[in-house]
Amino acid sequence: MAVIAGRSRWGALLPARFSTLFESRGASLAVFIVRRILWMIPIVFFVIVITFTLMHLAPGSPWDKSGGRQLSKAVVDNLNARYGLNKPLWTQFLLYVNNVIHLDFGLSYQYQNKTVSSLLLQSWPYTATLGGLAFLLIVPVGVGLGVLAALRQNTRVDYITMGFATLAASFPNFVVGSLMVVVFSVLLYRWTGGNFFLPSSDFKLDDHLIMPVITLSLLSIAFTARLTRASTLDTIRQDYVRTAWAKGLPERIVVIKHVLKNSLIPVVTILGPLFAFLVTGSVVVEDVFNIPGIGRAFVVAVASYDYPMILGTTILFSLVIAVANLLVDVLYVFIDPRVRLT
Amino acid sequence: MQLGNSIRAVALASAGMFVVAACGGSSTPSANLAPAAQQTITANDGTEPNSYDPTQQTYTYEAGVGRNTFEALLKSKPDLSDVQPAAAKSYDVSSDGLTYTFHLQPNAKWSDGKPVTASDWVYGYQHFLNPALAAGYVDPFFDGTIAGAQNYGSVDVTSASAIDSFLAGLGLSAPDANTFVIKLQHPAAYFKWVVTLWVAVPIRKDVVESAAGGAFPSTDTTKAEVWANSPATIIGNGPFKISEIVSKDHVTMVPNSNYWGGAPKIQTLTYDFIADGNTAFSKYQTGALDITGVPIADVTVVRADPKLSQQAHLFPTLTTFWMTFNTHETPFDNADVRMAFAKSIDRQKLAVNVLHDTDKAYAWFIPQGMAGADNTDNAQSFDPTAAKALLTKAGVTADQLNKFKLLTRNSSGSKTINQFIIDQWNTNLGLNMQLDVIDSHTVTTDIRKGQFDIYGPDGWGADYPDQQDWFDIFTSGSCRSLNWGCPTLPGYDALVQKADTELNQTQRNKDYLTAQKMLIDQAAVGFIYQQYEYDLIQPWVNYTHTAFDDQNLPGDNYYNTAYITAH
Amino acid sequence: MALPAVAVAQEVDWDVPEKQIGLWQDAWQRFRRNRLALIGAAIVVLLVLVAVSGPLLVHFGILKDPLKQDVAFIEVGPGQAGHPLGSDELGRDTLSRLIFGSRVSLSVGILVQLIILPIGLAIGLTAGYFGGRIDNILMRFTDIWYAFPDLLFVLVVVSVFQQYTSGSIVLQVLMIFGAIALVNWVGLARLVRGQVLSIKEKEFIEAARSSGSPPLKLILKHLLPNSLGPIIVTLTFGIPNAIFLEAFLSFIGFGIQPPTPTWGQMVNSGYETIYANPSSVVFPAVAIGITLLAFTFIGDGLRDALDPRMRR
Repeated sequence: MAVIAGRSRWGALLPARFSTLFESRGASLAVFIVRRILWMIPIVFFVIVITFTLMHLAPGSPWDKSGGRQLSKAVVDNLNARYGLNKPLWTQFLLYVNNVIHLDFGLSYQYQNKTVSSLLLQSWPYTATLGGLAFLLIVPVGVGLGVLAALRQNTRVDYITMGFATLAASFPNFVVGSLMVVVFSVLLYRWTGGNFFLPSSDFKLDDHLIMPVITLSLLSIAFTARLTRASTLDTIRQDYVRTAWAKGLPERIVVIKHVLKNSLIPVVTILGPLFAFLVTGSVVVEDVFNIPGIGRAFVVAVASYDYPMILGTTILFSLVIAVANLLVDVLYVFIDPRVRLT
Repeated sequence: MQLGNSIRAVALASAGMFVVAACGGSSTPSANLAPAAQQTITANDGTEPNSYDPTQQTYTYEAGVGRNTFEALLKSKPDLSDVQPAAAKSYDVSSDGLTYTFHLQPNAKWSDGKPVTASDWVYGYQHFLNPALAAGYVDPFFDGTIAGAQNYGSVDVTSASAIDSFLAGLGLSAPDANTFVIKLQHPAAYFKWVVTLWVAVPIRKDVVESAAGGAFPSTDTTKAEVWANSPATIIGNGPFKISEIVSKDHVTMVPNSNYWGGAPKIQTLTYDFIADGNTAFSKYQTGALDITGVPIADVTVVRADPKLSQQAHLFPTLTTFWMTFNTHETPFDNADVRMAFAKSIDRQKLAVNVLHDTDKAYAWFIPQGMAGADNTDNAQSFDPTAAKALLTKAGVTADQLNKFKLLTRNSSGSKTINQFIIDQWNTNLGLNMQLDVIDSHTVTTDIRKGQFDIYGPDGWGADYPDQQDWFDIFTSGSCRSLNWGCPTLPGYDALVQKADTELNQTQRNKDYLTAQKMLIDQAAVGFIYQQYEYDLIQPWVNYTHTAFDDQNLPGDNYYNTAYITAH
Repeated sequence: MALPAVAVAQEVDWDVPEKQIGLWQDAWQRFRRNRLALIGAAIVVLLVLVAVSGPLLVHFGILKDPLKQDVAFIEVGPGQAGHPLGSDELGRDTLSRLIFGSRVSLSVGILVQLIILPIGLAIGLTAGYFGGRIDNILMRFTDIWYAFPDLLFVLVVVSVFQQYTSGSIVLQVLMIFGAIALVNWVGLARLVRGQVLSIKEKEFIEAARSSGSPPLKLILKHLLPNSLGPIIVTLTFGIPNAIFLEAFLSFIGFGIQPPTPTWGQMVNSGYETIYANPSSVVFPAVAIGITLLAFTFIGDGLRDALDPRMRR
């Protein structure tokens, strides 16, 4: 998602906000939230329809194992009966939707007798830790770099930070991840005989997470830095800032009190897409670094035609993104007094 | 056991003909035993088991846990020559070969201290044979042997009464607490091997039911498996018991102090689930991992390293690989054409160069290390000139063959091997065929439907070291369900059938040898290599390396006698 | 991955028609002054030249055949055995595979934009022109489409259609085109719609006074010159995005299958031999990075050059 270029994607979101003015912001806010929540229903439904259709277009049967002993036809028939796979597609679809409403995502085909929900719950902490740490890294570093570059526009500092930002943005995360492993795990090991920052499947909050978190964050840091720089530049040119300068206020106060607050407004708009990007980025990073999170579970599920797992993960992702977008939009309303609600 | 693809030396069947008292230790403990705190083994199991219920386990990485927490009636001798007692102290076979009476170990106890009784065994076998659970290893080992199990596949799994009457009708009984009797459908000399499988174990009915919250109908498969989800309820009769399961990370086992054979010296046995070979490799080098497979890509690094090369061991496994031709498509119905393909693969180059000499070129069926291995018939050896001549003799043109594709599983091992093989065929036979790389799952679907031209590498790892396990693969009855290419070999079916039920071992061996000759000479498939396993083992681990097939990690069939030397 | 532009004007400057010619010349001048953009352009031109001449180089023996296996020299390091950048797990020349891989990446990256363009144009035009309910429905549709995480969608689509494309490179490439286009048309559609809306606002006023000309023609007449800039910029930024998606797909084993070399595949197999031969990862990874970087610079340069707000 985050890889769409041009302002078109994010920009197109903004105009929708600047619409009719309601009398009370509180009431309109509530209405706004409710409407957005209601919108999630068709979105999730659409996601289910698409994923369901796609998965059932595939001719494979979930019982064909890629290795190990194959099940005999009679057993396969029995399994199909048990999971309702011998019913017509329509029926299966309706049954599935019905179950989803009751928050039952079914049993995984791959890990028989385990429910999709339990598997997702198991994988969730890994992804959440990764994403959370990345987020904590992206916002301060990205914003900090951007403000710094803006304040020191056209100096060496500006060029270096923006250069780094562009560089980081151009290397896809799996490329960055692999290169980091080369440098830190392989080459450093060879030169020093010690192991540094190995990729690992351990779930510990230790240095094993350094590489995956950095890999996940780099692109977004770059992007945030660039955005912050541009909006800070805009803000600096504003009259009230010039007035503050003219008054002789120290730079730090000017920055914090006047510039930062207003330049952060556009940055907030990207928090939603940022979240979405962390979600999809985790798919890549978890694969490269063997972290058993939801992203990895998704890739594995796709490869093994674990329909319930694929559907469940996709729905989860879509919901998470939709909720994040909603939260960001609400936040935006509070931050920017000029914003009107549709 | 059927194998898909991987050439990674991690987590696949391993065996060795010789008993290797490896790493400078013998089975009897020497004076420099490490202190109890250091008696731990951490090994890389590779993949997390789908289930901790041994009856549901089908992969070697699952069986590796099952074998240590539960124990089957019999066990293979280290040299594979025969079986030896395990949970059963001894057994008798009736003269007609239809009744097996197992005398259980008198002081066998479960990990919670309760005695193991014959009715636990009956319940365990019934749990395993419940059609609703669809355990992968029932067919053909058990439904083809145990009396009353023939209808396993046709029982209506939605009806509890149908399942119950099926289970009640099986030839399983417990005349007294220490005797477990199994009746067979027909004589089977190999049945003693069947009962060594890790899936055939006793299960505690009371534990299962209490974990499920009370008795439940046989149709409820979720309730039937609740007990297998947490260490507290996984009560087994093996030398170890599970103390901790951290999903996606590791499983930890500790000694079962009630084990009849004496508690193991190893105080903590941990299996990590590190799927990426390189990650496991790095972890081994930090000393945090004691046993791991060497990824094919790092073989050169290990060999070049003075320290690591000392710790690496190459073990033969009872696994061979071959390429399959769809004989329902002309001209693959012509044995000469198949032989031409078989003879145009330079197996030496494949094994030594591409596979870095971690597997051995092998143009035969039964692997070195088990009874029935015979390398005298060189009909399929590499000879491109003869291969071309065969094609000409069969009157087949390049155009006819160029439209064929080599179906390849989308895994790194399969892709590498197949790119080499197709290059061999194209170069040596003057063809221009293509690969067809699809995800592993769909490949299986396709071969079951017979929708392929050529497929490989297909392989087989012995479930137990008896030829019966192997030759049934190529019977016409296995067409499209192991015998993907369905080659027709006149006389083969009858011969194998005879050998399977024959009770005289010498005669059996002779018959199986004849059957192997048929497979090789008529190029039923093109045999390519025997798999070896290249593992790194820390020098302080003392284990008994056995030649047991289906072993997941070196020595894991005898971890109850392993120990750590001081270091 | 492409960075989104910070500010692209959606306002249309109606003084433009007279200065039409001036816009492009002016843009070119500004582009020229942007050193990074020039470097990017130079890199891309070089890449394209090398990619196109790949088969020729092989034909004349300057470059080794990327499909030729040489199992005696598996995974050699750079500079050994006549392999300037080393060889892979079957002894094939890495440099040659890099070059042939660039053919895949560049064609996917650039050509897929040709599919996105009509889709985005059509939907954006329709939504903007008809307005009202149609616009509403289409925009809600794009909202929903937008909610679907694109990477996941591409993965699912490709995994499903993978088996129908087996053995045929053409089909595989088409499938990738389709999957990538399917998720990436939204941005362009929204952009076009925005442009059409702005034009419509002014245009209807004029059309109401003038006689005869159907609004659609007028819209098109004004749409093209004014939106061409942003559309080009969007498509240019779409190229590195597409290259990334294709590379990631082949990295995890979907998409274009061996023995056709692709950069993503090379990173993947290189990743496995990372201890023995780290350069096998570094070369394709750097190749991907530099290519994306170059296109991003060009995109940045184009955007700055074509941004009317920055004109003096």
